[in-house]
Amino acid sequence: MRKKHLKAGERGLTLLAALALLLYLVFLVLPLLLSLRSSFTNENPLKATNDFVGFANYTEMASDDALKASLTFTLILAFGVTVAANALGVGFAMLLNRTSLSYRVMRTLAFLPQVLSGVIVGFVWQTILTQNGLLNTALLKVGILDEPYPWLGSPHAALFSIGLVVTWVMSGFTTVVYLAALQSIPLELNDMASLDGVRGTQRFRKITWPMLAPGTTISVTISLITVLKLYDIITVLTGGGPANSTQSTALYIVKLAFTSDRVGYASAVAMLLLAISAVVALVVTGALRRREVSL
Amino acid sequence: MLAAAAVTLVFVAPIYLMLVNAFKPQDKILANPVSLPWPPTLDNLKEALTRPDNLIPLGLRNSLIVAVISVALIIPLGSAFSFYIARRSGKAKAAILLALSAGLMIPPQVTLLPTIRILTWIGLDHSYPGLILANLGGGYLSFAVFVYVGFMRSVPDEIIQAARLDGASGLRIWWQIVMPLVRPATATVAIFLTLWIWNDFLNPLFILGPLQGQTITTGLYLTIGQYSVDYGQLFGIMFLAGVLPVIGYLTVQKQFVAGLTSGATK
Amino acid sequence: MIRKPLLAACVAGLLALTAACGSGDGGGNESGETALTYLVFETPSLDAKFWDASIAAATAQTPGVKINKIVAPSTDRDGYAKQLQQSGQFPDLLQSITPSNFVGAGLLKPYDKTWIDANFLLPSANSLKGEVYIPPTNSQIVPQVYYNKKLFAQAGIAAAPKTWAEFLDACAKLKAKNINPIELGGADPFAASMPLVGIISADILGKNKNWLQDRYADKVKFADQDVVTAVQKYRTLVSSGYFDKGALGVKYADSITRFTSGKSAMYPMGSWFLGSVPKDTADDFGSFPWPTDDGSVVVPFVGGGSMAISAKAKDTALAEKFGQAWSLNPANLKALIETDGAFPMLKGKTLDDYGVTVTQVFKDSYAYVGQDNNKVNAIGWATNDDALPPGLNDAFYAAAQALFSKDDVAGEMKKLDDAWKTAVQ
Repeated sequence: MRKKHLKAGERGLTLLAALALLLYLVFLVLPLLLSLRSSFTNENPLKATNDFVGFANYTEMASDDALKASLTFTLILAFGVTVAANALGVGFAMLLNRTSLSYRVMRTLAFLPQVLSGVIVGFVWQTILTQNGLLNTALLKVGILDEPYPWLGSPHAALFSIGLVVTWVMSGFTTVVYLAALQSIPLELNDMASLDGVRGTQRFRKITWPMLAPGTTISVTISLITVLKLYDIITVLTGGGPANSTQSTALYIVKLAFTSDRVGYASAVAMLLLAISAVVALVVTGALRRREVSL
Repeated sequence: MLAAAAVTLVFVAPIYLMLVNAFKPQDKILANPVSLPWPPTLDNLKEALTRPDNLIPLGLRNSLIVAVISVALIIPLGSAFSFYIARRSGKAKAAILLALSAGLMIPPQVTLLPTIRILTWIGLDHSYPGLILANLGGGYLSFAVFVYVGFMRSVPDEIIQAARLDGASGLRIWWQIVMPLVRPATATVAIFLTLWIWNDFLNPLFILGPLQGQTITTGLYLTIGQYSVDYGQLFGIMFLAGVLPVIGYLTVQKQFVAGLTSGATK
Repeated sequence: MIRKPLLAACVAGLLALTAACGSGDGGGNESGETALTYLVFETPSLDAKFWDASIAAATAQTPGVKINKIVAPSTDRDGYAKQLQQSGQFPDLLQSITPSNFVGAGLLKPYDKTWIDANFLLPSANSLKGEVYIPPTNSQIVPQVYYNKKLFAQAGIAAAPKTWAEFLDACAKLKAKNINPIELGGADPFAASMPLVGIISADILGKNKNWLQDRYADKVKFADQDVVTAVQKYRTLVSSGYFDKGALGVKYADSITRFTSGKSAMYPMGSWFLGSVPKDTADDFGSFPWPTDDGSVVVPFVGGGSMAISAKAKDTALAEKFGQAWSLNPANLKALIETDGAFPMLKGKTLDDYGVTVTQVFKDSYAYVGQDNNKVNAIGWATNDDALPPGLNDAFYAAAQALFSKDDVAGEMKKLDDAWKTAVQ
């Protein structure tokens, strides 16, 4: 009797759950499959072509210098920002790991960059970093520079500047994660260490860092994934320039699909980015999780 | 303490610049961008609010509509789905959960164009319902499910069994018993999704397009363009566009951090 | 019991949703008007006020039309138009686009030829395979070199350079006086390409007017020695330090103010810059054609104009009427001449007929349009049969930016040939 009753009562819930699944299928799984299908075609609305071309798009990628440049840029940015933002996050968290009011205020401030949209972040930093921007104005006035430095105007400097801005944004996030992880370290552990005379860098290496492992896993994974799909900050800050030197793979896909009209090829590059994201996410998370266990 | 304060200062410098320069005229910004805005001017804000294209009021309104409706629909969908699936076991469930969490790492650029095509097929392209539908089914739902499933597992089975014995339906158990128990999860999902959807750029730019009025992020991007050399105006607009999420963050800061850290320490 | 409040919530949500959309800005059908979308772009001189006023003026002359303005996020309106087309929102009217990007897919509708012939000095200036998609209301020279007479005097340069050697000499003299010789708004790709447009137009097209047709026929290539040698001149300018080292970080809008405020002595730019010459110091500025090896004059000419019509516009006839009204509206042309330095090309009208106040440097520059000289279709800017294939402009700009920081001219030119091959495939 109970079973029958259950069945009737579950219907509403099942319906809602099914609706959720349906939405997911229609707006994520189906687009993914359509993209995959398109990656085997020469779909191009401007030329009105849409024929199957087998693996042609995938073989073309091998000789596409713009793609290689975009992948190099994206991977350097992703790993650079991840390392920098996590190092900053750990350092910042250790500095701010107190409970008095001033520290709580500082913690609040540290997270602020995460709250602003990438478009605002991009514009604010653009006014700072552009040739006649606030940074050059200030540095010239103080006399640190004799002539304006092209923060966004040379390929290497632009890579560095974007890295700086994205690190700034991500550090707020990593700081909060590491702070929480720090606070979950049992006090006794630190007391014991003090008794044993373990201090300074040794204490950090032997106790703090291992205990931060779960925080590291989540913080590193999310940093990597965020940068791999980053679009807004770069679009606003440099638009991919100068000379496409800051064109991330995400930007390249959008450009191929929406301005070059090479939908088929864009889909193939999208599949590549998806594969890279998946591999990075799985391998890095897997390695970090294993590390958590072994610690 | 000093070290911490110094680092924090450097860190918030760009936000400080945005704040003080929103209240300074152009010549003072160029003369000394870091000085305090004294006497403060409200001209930048006034000018931003009285633009003929209504950028700020319209943008804020549109963003609010999209964010609130999307989140209000994702929460019941995501939690009902999580409750339904968390009570089950077996391979199918594991596979579905895995597929859903994959949604978290799929770069939105991969699915953007097909999503627009699908919306065109069902006649909802370049419309708010279309944008909201795309929000419902994408990675945001994955995030909601991801958070809820963890919490649903920790709901004691006895409570649910007892309710069932009292003759409550699944729907009722979920809404009246489980939802109050997983309030922290709801807070996390609501806060983060509101922020993300509010700040979203790619979907409103391409799915909504320029004709239906802009959200605040695309509005900023499309109107400010690259021709604003008037820093005062720029900072005024930035300030108005950024102040809402910042206030929101400051008010729900505790839940915000709690939400972030529940993942980090679990 | 429980279902009802939930249902009610959903219904309320949906209601709010539809209400929100109803109040959106897509309207325009109230009084039997047809709403058309019109893609424009903003520059320091063509600002929102100009567009709103010109739309209002043309709307008044076109009964039954309501225009919804769309502003491109950058000057790259071709890119944005494609983006809109790809997401299913191709505008009904498109200001100053490159038609060759769109006619292949049948997206544009040509103007009535008798109307074009009746109204314009050079009816075929924008002609593409025999059809005119953009009324040739005005023309431009892309680029001319604008210079600051005071800074020239300071550096002891007696006259505007005519030959390449004189030009290099002027640069060297300026540099020796610690004056930045050439301004470049390199953060905006189109502006970064100006010196390259000048060099190729003068040295290559100046010698072979049909070079682009030959390129389409694969008779010539960018990687050919003459092009590489010409482009090498750009490298000479860069490596001699005649541009600001950080020029690729200078936005176009900033480059204008830097030049007009005396931070640089010369500024190669399209003639629309003439609209930005400050009225009170206008006499300090002069112009000269991009210098050639032998000092002969080559004018990189562009038949500019107004808007193209989408073949899929809701009402193409009405759209054409609006386009015609906008193109002939005297107030619009006056504003274009004064603020955007447009050289007017209407039949039977002199500059005085428009009632404009223009600077001497405008008149001097405009003189090159009327003179009998070696006019070529400016590379990358022509909107007629000599337009680059779709996508090539981007590649051309990227090459210009890349050559600012690396020396591989032959390699960059080969990339252009490769891009060309992909584009015309």
